[in-house]
Amino acid sequence: MTVTQLSPAPITLRRNFWRGVLRVLRRKPSRLVGVGIVTLFAFMGVAGPLLYPSPLPRDDHALYAAPSLAHPFGTDFEGTDVLALVVTGTRYVLLAGLATAVITVALGTAIGLLAGFHRGRWDTVLMRLTDLQLTIPGLPLLLVLSTVWKFTSPLEMGVVLGALGWGGIARAVRSQTLSLRERGFIEAARGLGLSTRHIVGRELLPSMAPYIAMNMLIAVTGAIYAQVGLFFLGVLPFDANNWGVMLNLAVFGGGALTSAAALPYLLAPLLAILLLTLGIVLVVDAMDEIFNPRLREE
Amino acid sequence: MKRLAAITAVAVISTASACGGAGGSAGSDVYTTIDGAKQIDATAPINPFNPQGNTFLGYDAMSLAWPKNDPVDPNRFYPGIAATWTVTPDQGEVVVRLQPAARWSDGKPVTSEDVRTSIGLAYTQGGTAYAVDPKAAGSAADVQVLDAKTVKVTQGANKSNLFLRNVLSTVVVPAHVFGGLLPADFWATLKAARGSGPAAEKAKTAITGLAQKVISFAPAKDVSAGPFVLERVNPGEALLVRNKYFYANQNVAPERVKVLNYTGNQQIWNYLISGKLDSAPFTAVPTDVLNRIRQTQGNEVRKGFSPVAVSMAFNQTHKPYDNVHVRRALAYLIDRSQVTKVASPEAGTPAETTTGIHAKSAKSWLGDGLGDLDAYQVNPAKAAQELKAAGMTQQGGKWAMPDGSPWQVEIHVPASFSDWVSAAKAITSQLNDHGIDASVITAADYTLYLDELSSGRYDIGFWLMALGPSPYNIFQRIYGSANGWQLLAGQLTRVPPGTQGNWMGGPETLDGVNPGTLTGRLNAVSPEEQRRIVGMLAKVTNQELPVIQLYDYVNTQFVSTTRYTGWPSADSDVLRLPAGVWMQLGMIKKGGR
Repeated sequence: MTVTQLSPAPITLRRNFWRGVLRVLRRKPSRLVGVGIVTLFAFMGVAGPLLYPSPLPRDDHALYAAPSLAHPFGTDFEGTDVLALVVTGTRYVLLAGLATAVITVALGTAIGLLAGFHRGRWDTVLMRLTDLQLTIPGLPLLLVLSTVWKFTSPLEMGVVLGALGWGGIARAVRSQTLSLRERGFIEAARGLGLSTRHIVGRELLPSMAPYIAMNMLIAVTGAIYAQVGLFFLGVLPFDANNWGVMLNLAVFGGGALTSAAALPYLLAPLLAILLLTLGIVLVVDAMDEIFNPRLREE
Repeated sequence: MKRLAAITAVAVISTASACGGAGGSAGSDVYTTIDGAKQIDATAPINPFNPQGNTFLGYDAMSLAWPKNDPVDPNRFYPGIAATWTVTPDQGEVVVRLQPAARWSDGKPVTSEDVRTSIGLAYTQGGTAYAVDPKAAGSAADVQVLDAKTVKVTQGANKSNLFLRNVLSTVVVPAHVFGGLLPADFWATLKAARGSGPAAEKAKTAITGLAQKVISFAPAKDVSAGPFVLERVNPGEALLVRNKYFYANQNVAPERVKVLNYTGNQQIWNYLISGKLDSAPFTAVPTDVLNRIRQTQGNEVRKGFSPVAVSMAFNQTHKPYDNVHVRRALAYLIDRSQVTKVASPEAGTPAETTTGIHAKSAKSWLGDGLGDLDAYQVNPAKAAQELKAAGMTQQGGKWAMPDGSPWQVEIHVPASFSDWVSAAKAITSQLNDHGIDASVITAADYTLYLDELSSGRYDIGFWLMALGPSPYNIFQRIYGSANGWQLLAGQLTRVPPGTQGNWMGGPETLDGVNPGTLTGRLNAVSPEEQRRIVGMLAKVTNQELPVIQLYDYVNTQFVSTTRYTGWPSADSDVLRLPAGVWMQLGMIKKGGR
């Protein structure tokens, strides 16, 4: 009787991958900082609202209070702790950012792959559709949409932002697909009579996965800027702990750009946006090296 | 997505840089201010009939007279182009005598013909004293030139006690510039339009058809009868120079007036902090910014009466707000002092109670009767009683509808009104504290907000009210077209709730009183009868709460004593008039600290 051992190879590969990840992260401490920041924001998004009582406490005698130990970023117009507002507001921002990124990447990748692989009529139709999407002015359209759609859920926000943002990725994925489809391994797969589904799903997609993953993270930052900008302009529904609403109220209600009282109220959400963006950029830097063998420094 | 983010960022950056960059240094003979009524559009015509027109009331645009800031009496004025006027007791006839020395900036005299032409042009725009429809209350029936400096305006059969105010508010334009806009047979057409039948309809159409032509008319240069005349305008500012023919030139101190443009309140705050403005009309200011403005040498704050209040209005076609007990319960839960402290600490005073009237006017109108009204002090126990009386139920510490379904209080405000947003948030916080699930919903802008409000889409919305001093104007905000009473062609009609802009949807009678009819009568009755009606309306408003009055506005203005002196004192009756009128009256003098 012969006993065949199966799984050790994939397990070893996985172990090697994670060792490589750790090695890449350790090589530049900034990358570890990036992972730390993203983890912190993910934690705030998941557990943030559980850390504070609901509704958040208010203090009528401490409106726009200066930063202190009790209120590291001061208080808002109602005397609510600004840090608590930032922490509890993270969930909406992250959820909307993730939803946007997933939709952007899923749509962009699918359309880019199909157009690049099939070429011909598919390519023509899909790329004209992409061109059309790229010509739609996003901000004015969102301003108009906001008059009929209140975007109370972050997923609704994500759907709209995602539907407006897939064009760039679709074009980039198509270019990569056009290049890869001429390579030997794709020729071989075709020669073996493998199905289109197999070639696209198993051969082309994994080759582009690192690029797509990095774009997804970058799309998160773009979505954060866009949604915070819309809330800042005051065209989206009021939610006291939304970062964009906080910026709006600090500037237009508290006069944060004119006087110092509301400045911490302005700086807290700004700092959160900057930190989150920085974290994502540092993680993208690490991912670039993890997935791109040419960049690996031995 | 990146593009979208970039556009957003550019929009924000351009706004910020615009806020910091405009304006200019002010010389000693230049008076620098802003126009609180509009932002400057350099492409707009020099035409007072155009809402964006580059004319500035009190400086180069002149009314016959200027209304005083009286809490109760709407018929008190300072002279403008009219030196004096007389009015019959029923306001049936107003005779206006023009300033004998009044001349246009091109040297031609201001005559009765100019006033008549201005009235003719006002007819093309409709409204107030110059409605084409003869049945409209308070509309002028005849305009007679008695001599070169005297005009008689006669009111139609459907009289209004606001006729004098509306006639004296007429902005006078030069006939030799604007007269060509009126066809040669205009007055004959107007006479025909005030009749009946198809010919009258045709004539009405002909007159209202002139509206756009009048609005878009763009004279080559400004011809002003005011103390100043427009010299140039660009997107950043308008410059006006002295009109050497102004009838009271000896009263006017500044040689030039610079009207700075602004993109928002923040830019006005920056102008004030940098000491650029000699005066600024009402501007909403947070406490800390106000303190910064005060720190600038010479800057002083002038506070005065402003006949405007803000309220939370109910759509009574939506449940449970059709039930007065629910409205009262909410009134007992809202701490108006705390709301005012959060939302408008510098430009608001908490409403003493809900009367429909600004507190300062209410004292004059109601006297001791004010004390008999329910003050709706915060009282959670009473609120709970009222909610139970309305059949509301409590489930897990939260109030629910009588059938047990969740009760979600949604308060709507326009996003651009920062004090309303803060006030609404403070109210929702208070309601949430007492087990009522409440949230704020913002509309992108005020126009959209009013559109959605009037279409009945909101349960509760913020609403400006108490727009005095005329008692009719005060109460028509509550018992006017928004609540189903429409005054058309002199006839008061009632439209069903939820239709034709009747979004408040209140009942036609309250405690046996028809508040809409009473409000309509305020236009035509004697002062004694007005006082009696105002008392009844205030009482019924206090009991039935179609709105909850939150805070009364305070007219907070700014002046600088650095270059000029003689500013109006706090609570002065000129405070709501443009600074150009202060100059005409000889108040503003050169000098300063």
